[in-house]
Amino acid sequence: METKNSSQPKDKHFLIAVDESESSKRAVLYVADIVGGFPGFAVTLLSIIPEPEEDFFDSGEEQIAWTKEKLEAANRMLENYRQIMIHAGFPPEKVRIRSCVGEEKSFSEAILDTRCDLSCCTVVVGRHHKSRTEEFLFGSTSTRLIREAKNCAVWVIE
Amino acid sequence: MDFTEKDLRGMVRKWVSPDRVPKRVQVKDTSDFFRVDYDDVVILGGVPYFVRNNEREGRFGLEDEQKFWVKRAIDLLTGEMKVLKWVFRERFEARIGNLVFDCVRSPQKEARILELVRGRADFMQGTTEQDSAGHPLRILDYIHGRTLSQITPLLGSDHEDFFYNHFPLVLDEYVGIVEAIRFLHQSGEKHGDIRRDHLIKDETTGRYRWIDYDFNYRHGESRFAYDLFGLGNILVFITGRGDVTTNRLLTQAPGILDRLSSDDVNIVFHNRVANLKKVYPYIPTLLNRVLMHFSAGAQVYYETTEELLEDLGEAREELERR
Repeated sequence: METKNSSQPKDKHFLIAVDESESSKRAVLYVADIVGGFPGFAVTLLSIIPEPEEDFFDSGEEQIAWTKEKLEAANRMLENYRQIMIHAGFPPEKVRIRSCVGEEKSFSEAILDTRCDLSCCTVVVGRHHKSRTEEFLFGSTSTRLIREAKNCAVWVIE
Repeated sequence: MDFTEKDLRGMVRKWVSPDRVPKRVQVKDTSDFFRVDYDDVVILGGVPYFVRNNEREGRFGLEDEQKFWVKRAIDLLTGEMKVLKWVFRERFEARIGNLVFDCVRSPQKEARILELVRGRADFMQGTTEQDSAGHPLRILDYIHGRTLSQITPLLGSDHEDFFYNHFPLVLDEYVGIVEAIRFLHQSGEKHGDIRRDHLIKDETTGRYRWIDYDFNYRHGESRFAYDLFGLGNILVFITGRGDVTTNRLLTQAPGILDRLSSDDVNIVFHNRVANLKKVYPYIPTLLNRVLMHFSAGAQVYYETTEELLEDLGEAREELERR
């Protein structure tokens, strides 16, 4: 007797962390190219605003205005990327966007926390070409993602 | 509490020599540091302070530049020397090589850290009072002592004497210096401007105190890496009994300079040697390995003070075994 599983297979969920850089654009285009048009995939495009600490602002109002402006810009960027994914063949309901403020967390922590919340199987980032000095003084998100990520794949797009 | 001019002159007479007592003592408003001059009195939190000279960097900022917003002053109630630091906000871009990053001088940050480190022997102490415009003005205890950069090069008759007879104690002091920064980092704060002239050895306690916490920088992925870079520079400085520069080697030991590769210099300041074992072969391997984390050839970097302290502990043990 044949048994039929009525439950739908779960989508493979990609989390693409982006900013305004060219390397982020390459990451989005790569995923669009590789899995766009295939069934069984969903994507969340994530932008983390690197909010400076309160010391960088003269007042709380200035900080709020700064954050608001950056979030609006991030949402516009995310919407553009969302359209790229849809044009690549993703159903609109399977391309979500999310923006948040980094606060006390590092980028990699914020990305991995989001991955955990959304149960994504793959994290995708573009590779920023940093000098050794820059990486030494300020760290590298992709390096740390590769080191810290658990229960998921990490794609670093060249 | 109100003080008459006669009261104030009487107090001033108690703490300074007769020839230093001014004929007139003016109480100045605290809202504008440019209007507060030598021999004026400012009243903060009910305490009168007799203003002396502006501070200069070397202790507090840019080399030999007067800081009009930082003034020494005598607490007229106790006679203690204080450093008054007015609000001076500035945002600027710091530049290291080709790297440019945002920095800020924030009185709020320093006020916050002063609260955090209250009572600790490894940090400058002080309180914060509002000036007449409502801004946080910091009243800092004056630290009698010399900076680490002044002390270290004078220890021992030469590097070998220094290394065998003084360095173990200097390294112990350095571990304490790093532990103090670990406390800040664990509390979510950066120092922001870690330099060897921001460490003063307090003559009353014999311990180093960190000073000047008002800088902050925009960090990237690694929140504390820039602070760790500063700690690394200090470690290389004390191990070398001063900066060992390629220029110095060129004139004093060209043979050693020939043996250095591009990996052996400081990752940021390429004229400073980080691989000091090539210059002083008696430097133990584990200690030199710590130094190499700050070299141009480093493959891994410290991201936390914990990582640095762990390696320093092993280096210290190796030093003891010799």
